Formats: sequence, structure tokens, C-alpha cells
Amino acid sequence: MDRGIGGGSTMNSTTVTSTLRRVGRFLAPLAIAMALLFALWYLFLVAFPQVGPRVGKSPVDVWNYLFTTPTSHVARANLLDNLQITMRDAAIGFTAGIGAAVIVAALFVLFASLEQTLLPIAVLLRSVPLVAMTPIIVLVFGRGVAGVTVMAGIVVFFPALVMIMAGLREAPRQAQELVEAYGGSRWSALYMVAIPSALPSLFAAARISVPGALIGALIGEWLGSGEGLGSSLIKAIPRYQYNELWASVAVVTIVSIVLYAVVGVCENLVLARFGPTAGNTP
Amino acid sequence: MALTSVHRRDFFRYAALAGLAVGGTGLVAACASSDSSKSSGGSSADGSKFGTVAVQLSWIKNIEFAGEYFALEKGYYKDGGFGNVDLVAGGAAGTGVEAGLDTGKIWIGMSAPQLTAPAVLNGLPAKIVGATYQKNPFAIVSSAAKPINTPQDMIGRKIGVQDSNQLVFGALLDANGIDAKSITVVPAQFDPSPLANGEVDGWVSYVTNEPITLAAKGFPNHAMLFADFKLPLVAETFTVKQETIDNERDKLKAFLIAEIKGWTDAIGDPAESARLAAEVYGKDQNLAVAEQIEEAKAQVGLVVSDDTKANGLFTITQTLIDQNIAALKAAKLDIAAGDLFDMSIINEIYTEHPDLKI
Repeated sequence: MDRGIGGGSTMNSTTVTSTLRRVGRFLAPLAIAMALLFALWYLFLVAFPQVGPRVGKSPVDVWNYLFTTPTSHVARANLLDNLQITMRDAAIGFTAGIGAAVIVAALFVLFASLEQTLLPIAVLLRSVPLVAMTPIIVLVFGRGVAGVTVMAGIVVFFPALVMIMAGLREAPRQAQELVEAYGGSRWSALYMVAIPSALPSLFAAARISVPGALIGALIGEWLGSGEGLGSSLIKAIPRYQYNELWASVAVVTIVSIVLYAVVGVCENLVLARFGPTAGNTP
Repeated sequence: MALTSVHRRDFFRYAALAGLAVGGTGLVAACASSDSSKSSGGSSADGSKFGTVAVQLSWIKNIEFAGEYFALEKGYYKDGGFGNVDLVAGGAAGTGVEAGLDTGKIWIGMSAPQLTAPAVLNGLPAKIVGATYQKNPFAIVSSAAKPINTPQDMIGRKIGVQDSNQLVFGALLDANGIDAKSITVVPAQFDPSPLANGEVDGWVSYVTNEPITLAAKGFPNHAMLFADFKLPLVAETFTVKQETIDNERDKLKAFLIAEIKGWTDAIGDPAESARLAAEVYGKDQNLAVAEQIEEAKAQVGLVVSDDTKANGLFTITQTLIDQNIAALKAAKLDIAAGDLFDMSIINEIYTEHPDLKI
């Protein structure tokens, strides 16, 4: 017997096609959105001409800054160094945030009283602006990786918590009872029913957490660690290096969209395993 | 059923993208916004000769702008033909004066040579037409128990540096031959409590500001002046676009005359300066009047020098200009004096109104 709900069969050409179609359906709007973003960028500069050519840089300016001028290799190296730091910060924050969200969501679903007590507090904490909390976070966790991780983790944690909780609750009761009726343990019920049925929510949470983790990391770097893109792009302003600023923003945005797409493709590949409509049915 | 689910998935997808876009533009907006949406070029819509102008301050509204408060309070700007003058507060991560000038958000700003020079080198036609502070006000404040007496003392220690002051701090290191990698720079905002609670060993500040507020809060401290270590930069400079000098010379002169009057009052009355800062213009900053009086007194030493007694407030002697250019060069900002400073306006004012000299 095949694992999971939906009874996926061995990969034949039909499922491969449907998987591809599924991935395509996910990627197409994303590509359009990316193109729209560039259009918006141009429109912004056209709509606000007072920004001027020294402060407002177009995609072409950024391209030239990064690739065609004699100092482009320096600019690229500098940007990549900072990007690496930001990616590291965001990745750790993302992992910590999602990990914590999964554990807390499981606890909340298992113990309803815990949820009733703590969820309102979590929601309250969520509404405190991150920037205002930074001095305290920095004081407690320091300005190193730990502090930045907490910042990025906080951004990731709350939306992920709510979505994963919803996912775990959606585990079909009948399927769980079926496992029990055939003599399966609670663990096999969790493994065979609850986890697969929570997968769509888990992936959705992971997907929307990608930009969140990056934003959290940038804020953490700006106000906390003083390294990475979050810091360098702010420091570019007093140096009047608006090419660097725009290039940094563009690179972070593109990286964010690409990572979002990668998570989305993984999601679609995994969910296709559970049947062509997995993740599309509640 | 399936259709609504698809919508839900799309919703997540677009929500994430929208979040990304908002986050991205938020960053850009944070860098490019100031709270003034008023006309910056000045219009006569209010019936005045020169209309309303926006002035970008280099810092939050504290005692550093006492002369501007007096000029507003006593109507010197209005007497000069201005409908109103908007003072736009700056901050540790606020927009620079130069970006404000470039984007037309402000008409004049309080800046500094190390901030104006990079903008000019990047093509912004702007110049410094006067300087309120004759002496570099920047200092490294440290605990009296673990004082930083020389730039070398900073090696291996943590220094809090505001984003807008990265350049001047870098210039200090360059001028004294210190490797930036030997110091841990910690991002700072305007509140120096990280120094008071021991998180950092030193804090970039104005000698007139943080040392006094920290001492008042019971934190004995030591201030190492940048000016004593090869960085004799002027500060609180009046920076304008070249087109203002070329096309609005009378307006600029009228503005500077109002400033001279305001600052003359401020120098003469530190107590009233402090009251205006703490109780009127910087009311929301929770400034303590007693501390602001101390700062106002200390500030007089930066604004008034033998040179200004001879030549008038805001003037910069050629010797001082040359020292500034040399200091900038040490910080890898290679700019000609004529591209950064234009003293012709302020000198003209004192030739026409010799009575304005203190």
C-alpha cells in the first residue's frame, strides 16, 4: 500500500505531466509578478521625476553599476559578501522561526487550554513593532547571530504558527479513526494522517515566511549587528551611493522571489506525490 | 469548493509578494521620505516675498538649532520676507540634507563637509555657504572609568556609531592611521544608553550633547574631540544647491541674515535657547531644560571663535577651509575647495551689513 492520503501511484507519464503542469501553474504568475515589479520600478521613477537621476536609479543604472563599469567587480564582490551574511541570517531565522512554530503549533493543538491562554499573548506580542522591540532584543540576545536570528525568527514565527495550527486541525477525523480501527498507534495516525494533511499549510507557511525572514534579517542587521545588506544599504545613503542602495534593494527582492519560487516548487513536487489535487482541497 | 481553495492559495501567494513589495518600497521610502510635503523651492502663495521654505536639520530638534528657534520665535525669517520656515528634524538614520536638496524636498539644510563632499563628488551641484560650528563638535564619549583618550585607545573595543556618522568616524580612523577592522562598530541611534549600560565602550556624539546628558544621568564620562585628532572639520554647515546661489541669491542672503540674528540671540541667551528647545520646538523630545542650558553654553564655544569675532558668524576663513579640504582628503574624499565652499554670499552680507557682526 502506498503511504499517505490520496493514494498516489508510481510515477507514470500522466503524473509527471500533471506535476509539471502544477509547477507551471505556480511559476507563471510569479514570472508575471517579477516583470510587473520592474514595470513598477520604472513607473515609480517616471511618476516622481523630482527624485532625480542621482537618487533615483533605474534597473538599467543598477545593471550598469553591477556589470558594465570598470569598478563593477568591486561593487559585485561587496554586494555578494553582504548578501551572504544576510542570507545566513535569514536562513537561521527562517529555520528557527518555522521550527518553533511547528513545535508550538503541535503543543497548542494537543493542549487546547495552552492555546487559549497563550495565543492571545502571542498575538499581542506580534502587534508590538519589531523596530521598537529591537533595543530589548539586542540587550538580551546580543548583536551577533543570536540577536538577528531572534528578529528574523519573530517575523517568521507568528504567521507560520497560525497557519500550521490550522493545518494540523484539518486532519480528517475519519482517517485518523480508520488508522486506529486497524490497530495503528497514535504515532502512526500522526505519521499517516495528521502530518500529510498539514503539509499544504506547512509549505504555505514556509513560502510566505521567506520574505518575512529576509525582512527580519535586514532589520536585525540594520539595528543590531551592523553587518550584511541591512546595514550596508543604509550606510550607502550618507555616502551618496544610491547605485549601491538600489542594487541592494533589487538583489534582496530578486533573491526573495527566487527563494519563494524554490519553496513553492518543492511544495508542488511534494504535494503532487499525494495526488494531483493535494493542497487544493481543504 | 476547489475554486475557492485555489483562490485561497493565490491569496497566500500574492499576499507574500505584496508583503515583499511593501517591505521593499518601505525601505526605499524610509530612505527617501521626510515629513515635509510643502513646496521647497518657495512660493509666494502665502503673500510673502519669498514664500515658505523647508530646512533640513542635521539632528533631532534639540539645542543644536537654538538660532533657528530664535529666528522663528522673534520673526526674523518673516522680517526677511519668508512666509514660514519649516524645520524638518533629522536623525541617526534620517535622510541626508543632500538627498533632500537633490529631490527638491528641502531648500536649505544643516549638513557637514564630510556629507556634502561625497554628494558633490557624485554629481550633485551643491555648496556650503556658511558654517554654524567653527570647531568640529564630534567626540568619542567613553566611561570615565575606562576612558578613550586617543583614537588608538579604540582598538579592540566597541564603538557605537550612528549611520549618518559612519563617514566622520571613518575619517577619524583614516586621519589617524587606524585600521577600521581593529574596531567593532555597533549600529547606534540617538539614545546613548548602550554606552551607559556598558554594551559599548565608546559613543560618537556631539561634545555639546551626550557628555552633558550622560553626566546629568549620573554617568561620569570622558570626551575625546575629533578636532584634537587631525579632524578640524566645520559642522552645521548651510548647504544649498548651486542653482539657489545662482538664481536666488537675495533669498539666500535674506535667510542667512535671519539666521545670523537668530544665532546672535542664541549666543547671548543660553537659558532662553534651552527653554525654546525643551519647551517649544523640541517639546516631544523630552529634553531637560537644565541639561539644555549646559549644552547651550558649551555650544557657544563651537559657534564663536576669534575668526567669527573678526569676520562674523558662519564665515569660514581660507585657512580653515584648507584644513577641511586636507582632512577630507585623508578620508579619501578628494575635492577642490572651490567645488565645496562658496563664502561669497556670507562675505557679501557682512560687507553690506557690518552691524550684524557681534
